Amino acid sequence: MKKTILLAGIAVVSALSTPHLALADAKWQPQSVERLVKLPATYLTKSIDQDFRRSELGQAVIGAEKNIGLKAQSLGELNDAVTLADGEIKTELRHRMLVEKHAYLELMADRNDLRRKQLLTKRRLLDKLLGEIADQNGSDNPRQRALIARQEEAQNRFESSLSKVDIQLFNSVDAPQSKYGKKYAENMSAIEKLAQKIDAHQMNESALLDGKAVSQEQYVRALMADTESELAILQQEETILGYMAKLVALDAMSLSEEGLNAEIADSDIPNMSSLAASVDLFIGNN
Amino acid sequence: MKKSNLITTSAFALLVAVSATSARAGTLENLERERAITLSDLISDDLSPNERQDRFSNAKPRLVDLERMVMRDPSLKGKNTPDVRRAFSNYDMTFLMHASVEKDRTVVDHWLEQMGVTTSSLMSANVGRR
Repeated sequence: MKKTILLAGIAVVSALSTPHLALADAKWQPQSVERLVKLPATYLTKSIDQDFRRSELGQAVIGAEKNIGLKAQSLGELNDAVTLADGEIKTELRHRMLVEKHAYLELMADRNDLRRKQLLTKRRLLDKLLGEIADQNGSDNPRQRALIARQEEAQNRFESSLSKVDIQLFNSVDAPQSKYGKKYAENMSAIEKLAQKIDAHQMNESALLDGKAVSQEQYVRALMADTESELAILQQEETILGYMAKLVALDAMSLSEEGLNAEIADSDIPNMSSLAASVDLFIGNN
Repeated sequence: MKKSNLITTSAFALLVAVSATSARAGTLENLERERAITLSDLISDDLSPNERQDRFSNAKPRLVDLERMVMRDPSLKGKNTPDVRRAFSNYDMTFLMHASVEKDRTVVDHWLEQMGVTTSSLMSANVGRR
């Protein structure tokens, strides 16, 4: 029995040193950036989270969380049982506790690998989204900014000459108003009414950060910063897992040492004889 | 729940499709072609004055519409190509009809001025060998 405990302790220590295998096959392929960029900022986060939950990777993370919950529960129950038990049963339960702790740490490590995959994918997605928003706004390229400024200047000059052109060209006999001109004017009022309705729509409200309305680009940058901080915290959690694993290894060594000490105490091996103690037998008169 | 998801998905798919088809390529090319043909007719020796006037009268509203289509084309905003940059760097040449009305000149006079052919430059020109 004691030998079994010793061997089990060694097995636990050696098992802890072998690398665990993550769920490498679970994937998350987010929806296209061209679609996401058109969504209102308030809906964007929910859409990304829902897309993740429905993916293979999302399901794997949910499954991992459930297993971790169950394992934590059984650890709690075992811990209660250890405090109530004594003798060999207590030793057996302590051994079982170590095995369960090891399994719990493996589950946490696997879950963290999945979470890292999720966060890295999300970061890449947000990066592409920022690129797409920048392309649409033309904010990155100085030549593009200069072009947009000239186009806006041209627009202002154009608007100021419109009515004069209409009067000069379309009020004359040989130049009646074109079909495009008439239809354009009709459609413009419909467009203006629809645009007002869109602007007032609740789904078109600006996203809020700390109570302040922000642009789509600012909102996505904030999401990116949140993702980076989650990745940093995950890194820190791995340090915690490392310490927990070391503690489990030390507990296993301690348990095996107790088993060894108990075995030595029970053994029939006699004490080593001292040579000096038998000198009198040789220097006596006989 | 499933029906509402289907409706939401269809609505966004329609929004994407409408946004994709609203971009009109070629408005600038059409304008430049039409302007080139109109200017060619205006300075052509092969046409009589009446023919020239008729062609110009037919082309005028077409040119005005094309200039307005270019100005209102959302796909050209920020489109950083040489053609678009050139077009918007010279408003007076690109939007010839609107610019000539704005400056109270005829189209030909305005175009010639943009080309550097003015009364003073003609008057100061010398005839001779190069």
